[in-house]
Amino acid sequence: MKGQNSQGRGPKGVPRHWQPRWVSRWGERLRLAPLGARLLVASLLLVIVLLPLAGVGLSYNFRQSATASFDTRLESLLNALLAGIQVDSIGQRLQLNRSLGDARFDRVYSGWYWQVSDGSDLTLTSRSLWDQRLPIPEHHSGLAVYEVEGPRDDDLRMIERDLHLPGRQDAIHVALAGSTAELNHEVERFERLLIVSLATFGVLLLAGLALQMRWGLAPLRRMSANLRAVEEGDIERLDTQLPVELKELALAMNGVLERDRRLIERGRAAAGNLAHALKTPVSVLKTLSERFPEAQRQPINTELARIDDAVRHHLARASAAGGVAFSGRVSIGDAIAPVVKGLARLAERRGIQFDTDIDPDAAARIDPQDIQELTGNLLENALRWADSRVSFRVSRVSQGVRLRIEDDGPGMTRAQGEAALARGVRLDVRGSGSGSGGSGLGLAIVEDLMMLYGGTLRLERAALGGLAADVWLPASPVSARIGDTASQPPAAD
Amino acid sequence: MKVLLVEDDAALAEALAAALAEAGLLIESTTTGQEADFLVRTERYDAVILDLGLPDGDGTRWLSQWREDAIDLPVLVLTARERWSDKAAGFSAGADDYVVKPFETAEVLFRLRALVRRSHGHAHPVIRIGELTLDTHSGSVSLAGRPITLTAQESRLLSYLMHASPRIVSRAELVEHVYNRDHEPDSNVIDVQISRLRRKFGRARIETLRGQGYRLVDLEAEA
Repeated sequence: MKGQNSQGRGPKGVPRHWQPRWVSRWGERLRLAPLGARLLVASLLLVIVLLPLAGVGLSYNFRQSATASFDTRLESLLNALLAGIQVDSIGQRLQLNRSLGDARFDRVYSGWYWQVSDGSDLTLTSRSLWDQRLPIPEHHSGLAVYEVEGPRDDDLRMIERDLHLPGRQDAIHVALAGSTAELNHEVERFERLLIVSLATFGVLLLAGLALQMRWGLAPLRRMSANLRAVEEGDIERLDTQLPVELKELALAMNGVLERDRRLIERGRAAAGNLAHALKTPVSVLKTLSERFPEAQRQPINTELARIDDAVRHHLARASAAGGVAFSGRVSIGDAIAPVVKGLARLAERRGIQFDTDIDPDAAARIDPQDIQELTGNLLENALRWADSRVSFRVSRVSQGVRLRIEDDGPGMTRAQGEAALARGVRLDVRGSGSGSGGSGLGLAIVEDLMMLYGGTLRLERAALGGLAADVWLPASPVSARIGDTASQPPAAD
Repeated sequence: MKVLLVEDDAALAEALAAALAEAGLLIESTTTGQEADFLVRTERYDAVILDLGLPDGDGTRWLSQWREDAIDLPVLVLTARERWSDKAAGFSAGADDYVVKPFETAEVLFRLRALVRRSHGHAHPVIRIGELTLDTHSGSVSLAGRPITLTAQESRLLSYLMHASPRIVSRAELVEHVYNRDHEPDSNVIDVQISRLRRKFGRARIETLRGQGYRLVDLEAEA
């Protein structure tokens, strides 16, 4: 998908510029719409389109059937009318010999009328017609139904039949009409009811669909929360107690996570082995080069330093690769226990009083090796410079952990502190030349780790008189920083 | 200063030994932990440089064994592994300091001298006995501020006496710490070198205690 976008092409390979911009923008937005919103929009569209369609269909059918039953009523009234028509044998006049039994035919302009005519003036009408006449359309044989306009401009439905009476040459037209107002009224009432019912149904349907979606998508939400937890380092693997479709996805993702972890481990190991294999020959060359005259030694040492820097850099980078991404919360005390033990032994051998105060609940999301590196470098420096005392305190602070290392050695001026933090500057700048050497990378490594984990390092005067290194580490580092620090190899100077 | 170098990489051992010898140290080399173990138990060294990756077992294994057996000489560990998880194991085993490969000879020398000085109870890198001073970093000796030129052998001898001062150092101890075990000197070689030193600093500064050995005397303190 990304590839298509980056080439500026639509889904079918049509160049994007053929589409108006808003189309592509909305297309993009729809394509990326969340699942819940998609399903909701789809069902909303269904409800909006289908329910009115169903309403129109139902209403149409109801009108048809109501009209049919209206017509049947008209027809039965017409049959009754027909049955009552007689011809006066004396005057050859038409007569109705019985009533239709419906008072509406007697009430003037009631909307219900009948009329018997022979096309000339011979006409019998219901009293309701008063002086008006129903319009008789052109002749039809048999039964016919018309929509006509009544005496009061009311809409009538008229049924008409031609009747041949014995002894009469011309057929007579018998028509009976009823007002459709009643019919319309009935249909309207039905439609109102229909609208209310359908609207209620629509709302209930949408609510039901929303609930169904919530329930249906719950495993996805659970999985995404799970994935975040993996990212945060709270858990190592995705929970696979999921519906079968997602279970397979989770298993596959676990597989990928596992493979990533293995790859990183392998990469670390390979980088480590390569680095260590290179170090001994570099040491030999370095030692041998010392026998050369200064002029020849300089370029050799420069190149050796470059090799060494590259080895260290890539080793550190390989080690850091999995650091933030895959490290969970670790107890600082547990992680640094071996380092503290080793250095306590060293302090004892050197006759230095080494006080530790480590909060067992202090924890942060950091690779155990990295926290060992951090603590080891700072403590070793302190032990190297201390006259007789080093104190080490680990405590919990707001949203993180604080490490404070103090010694009673010569300390550092502000300028020395700043210089010591610059990469590659040797830590032995600190004393008065009475230092005991050092690779100079100690503080640079600590600084790199601070960058990686988003912590801070402060160097200041200790209460014991020497240097105090104060480190703050966030409980959860910002993962965006992964790889930031190690992207450029150090300058080989 | 007599140092045992335990390093299995022949090229590195040779180069390092040569460089350290040039700096005036007496170096004995071995490539296996087994031999190092034997030498440490039978010979007298001022320090050991121990590589951790030995063919017959990890260096830390030998080191912790020595510490258990109360062999307390300073040990400088040499390793390619610079992760703290590895270093911590070394310190736990009883290492006194670490040098990570690749290193410069100067750094090894620097740390070795500091270790030896500390093992003799000198916190400061410059040892003073009256007007006689020894800068343990550079190995230079001066008397009342005037630099004194010494041969390598004389320098080792004086350095040992100064580190040990005010203790009396027996002839046997001097032989063990100042001379190579393959070239043990005649007894009069020591006498000759002591008398040369006396000529350079004044007779009274090196006291001979019959049947016990030699001792450096702080003339200025006695005065």
